[in-house]
Amino acid sequence: MTQIVRTEWLKIKKYPAFWWVMGITALTYPGINYMFLNVYYDITQKRSGSGQIIQALLGNPFSFPEAWKTVGYFSSIFIFIPSIVIIMLITNEYTYKTNRQNIIDGWSRTNFMVAKLIDVLLLSLIVTGIYAVVAFVVGSINTTNLAAPRWSMAFYIGLFFLQLFSQLSLAFVVGFLIRKSFLALAVFVFYFFVEKISVLILSNKYHNEIGEFFPLEISHRLVPRPAFFGKFDEKAYQASLEAVQYHVGYATIVLIITWAFCFWINNRRDL
Amino acid sequence: MSVLTLQNISKSYGKIQALNNLSFEIPQGCVFGVLGPNGSGKTTLLSIILDVLKADSGSFLWFGQPGSPEQRKKIGSLLETPNFYHYLSAVNNLKITNSISGRGDYQGIDAVLQKVNLFERKDSRFSSYSLGMKQRLAIAAALLGDPKVLVLDEPTNGLDPVGIAEIRELIIELSKKGHTIIMASHLLDEVEKVCTHVAIIKKGSLLTTGAVEDVLADEDTIEISAADITALAAAMKGYGNNIKVLQDGSFLHVSMPKGTARLEDVNNYCFSKGIVLNHLVFKKKRLEAKFFELTNN
Repeated sequence: MTQIVRTEWLKIKKYPAFWWVMGITALTYPGINYMFLNVYYDITQKRSGSGQIIQALLGNPFSFPEAWKTVGYFSSIFIFIPSIVIIMLITNEYTYKTNRQNIIDGWSRTNFMVAKLIDVLLLSLIVTGIYAVVAFVVGSINTTNLAAPRWSMAFYIGLFFLQLFSQLSLAFVVGFLIRKSFLALAVFVFYFFVEKISVLILSNKYHNEIGEFFPLEISHRLVPRPAFFGKFDEKAYQASLEAVQYHVGYATIVLIITWAFCFWINNRRDL
Repeated sequence: MSVLTLQNISKSYGKIQALNNLSFEIPQGCVFGVLGPNGSGKTTLLSIILDVLKADSGSFLWFGQPGSPEQRKKIGSLLETPNFYHYLSAVNNLKITNSISGRGDYQGIDAVLQKVNLFERKDSRFSSYSLGMKQRLAIAAALLGDPKVLVLDEPTNGLDPVGIAEIRELIIELSKKGHTIIMASHLLDEVEKVCTHVAIIKKGSLLTTGAVEDVLADEDTIEISAADITALAAAMKGYGNNIKVLQDGSFLHVSMPKGTARLEDVNNYCFSKGIVLNHLVFKKKRLEAKFFELTNN
C-alpha cells in the first residue's frame, strides 16, 4: 500500500494542473464564503431597524456551531473544481497509455484501481481540510458568544468528506469510462449543472422529490442548507435535516457500487 | 529451462482472429525474435504475456509459473510505444518505473540514462523529447535494474542509424551476459544480426519456430558458375533428385535437401561432365528470403 501511495504521489506532485486546481480550490472556498458573509453583513448591519430585525430572524449562520454547516453548504457549490483534477488524473493514464505501462511494470489491475481510489481519497481529504480550515476561521471570526458550542456541529466535516468523496468518485467514473479528458470534463460539468437544474425543477414545479436519488444529489443532501432557510420553510428544513441520516446510507451504497463497478470493469477489459 | 511457454493462445477482436492457437517455448539465455508482417499479431502476443490484453483461450507460463505481477516486476518491457507521463522528466518517469517494479535505484536511473545517451536531457520533460529520445527512454526504463528478461516490441522504432546500431550492440552485449531478450520486429536484417531463435507468425498463426540456423537451413543452397553457364545448368539438372536450379545472371543457385550439399561432390560431378567451375560457394539463406517464402509476400 505504501508503495502505491508513493507512486501516486510521484505522479501528482509535479503535475501542474493538480497544483493549479488546488490553488483555485484554496481561493474559491474562502472566496464564496466571504462573498455570502459580506452579503449577510450588508443586510444585517443596515442602520435602519430592518437590519436588526433580519439579524434576529436569521441569527448568524457564520458563527459556531452553525458555521460548520453553512460553510460546508456554500463550499459544496464548487465541488466540480476538484472533480477536474480527478478526471484529468484518470484520463491522463489513458491518453499517455501509462495505465498499460503501470501493469507492464508490475502492478496488478487491482493495484491500479487501488491507486486511483487513493487519489480520490487523498484529494477528498485535502479539500475537506481546506473546507475545515475555512469553516473554523469563519466560525472563529464571527462567533461573539464565547459560550457557543464550537464543535457541536463539527460532524459536518465528516459529512462534507463523504459528499466530496462520493461526488469525486462519480467524476472518476465519468473519466474512467469516457477516457478522453476534454470530453469527460464536458460531460461531467454539463451533467453537474443539468442535474442541479432538474432537481430544482422537479422539486419546485412538480413537487416531486425523486431528484434526491439522482447520483450527485444523493450526496449533496448530506450537508443541508443553512439554518436560516428554516425561517422561510421550517417543515422543509427539518425534513432536510432528518434526511441526512438516510443519505449517509444512500451515499455509502452509491460509493460501494461505483468502486465495485470500476474494479470489475478494469479487471475484465483489455488495456 | 524455458523462460516463457505459450500454450494454445488465441485472441480475437470481434471477427478478426488476431492469434490462433499459438504455442511455442522461449529458451533461457536466447535472443528470441517474434517476426511477422504488419497485423500478424506480434504486439497482441506481447501484450498478452504482459497482461495488458486477456487471451480468449490458452495460457502462458513465465519460468514455469502462471503470469503474475511479481514476475512482471522482474521483466524489463517496452510495448508498442513509449508510455510515459508527458509532464514529467526522464528521471521522474523512471522513478515511477522504479517505484512500481522495484527494479533499480536512483543511481541506477542515471546509469541507464547514460547507457541510452539521454543523461544530458534527464531533467527535460518527456513531452519535449523527439521520437528517438522517447524510444531511448523506453529502452532505459526496460533496462532499469538490469532485469534478466527483456521484452522489446520494435525496439529500434524511431531511432536513427546510429541509434539502431547502438541498440543492436546493446542486445548482443546483454545476450552475452546471459539475459533473455524477446523482441518483436519487422526489421529482418536487424533480427538476423542479433537473434538466436525466431518464431514467424502470420495472421495470428505460427508458421515456424526454432533456432535461427534450423529455421533457415531447411535446404542447402550453393552458388556456382562456369564459362559456359548454359551447359552448367543443363549438367546440374542431372545431379540428383529434389534439386532446384535457378539462374541468376552468370551464376546458378542450386538448392538441394538439407545436409546433402557437398562442395567436393559438386565440383567432381561438374568436372566429370567436362565443366570447370570458376565459382563454388555454400550460400547461407537470408532470413528475409525465408520470411518471404513463408509468408508468401
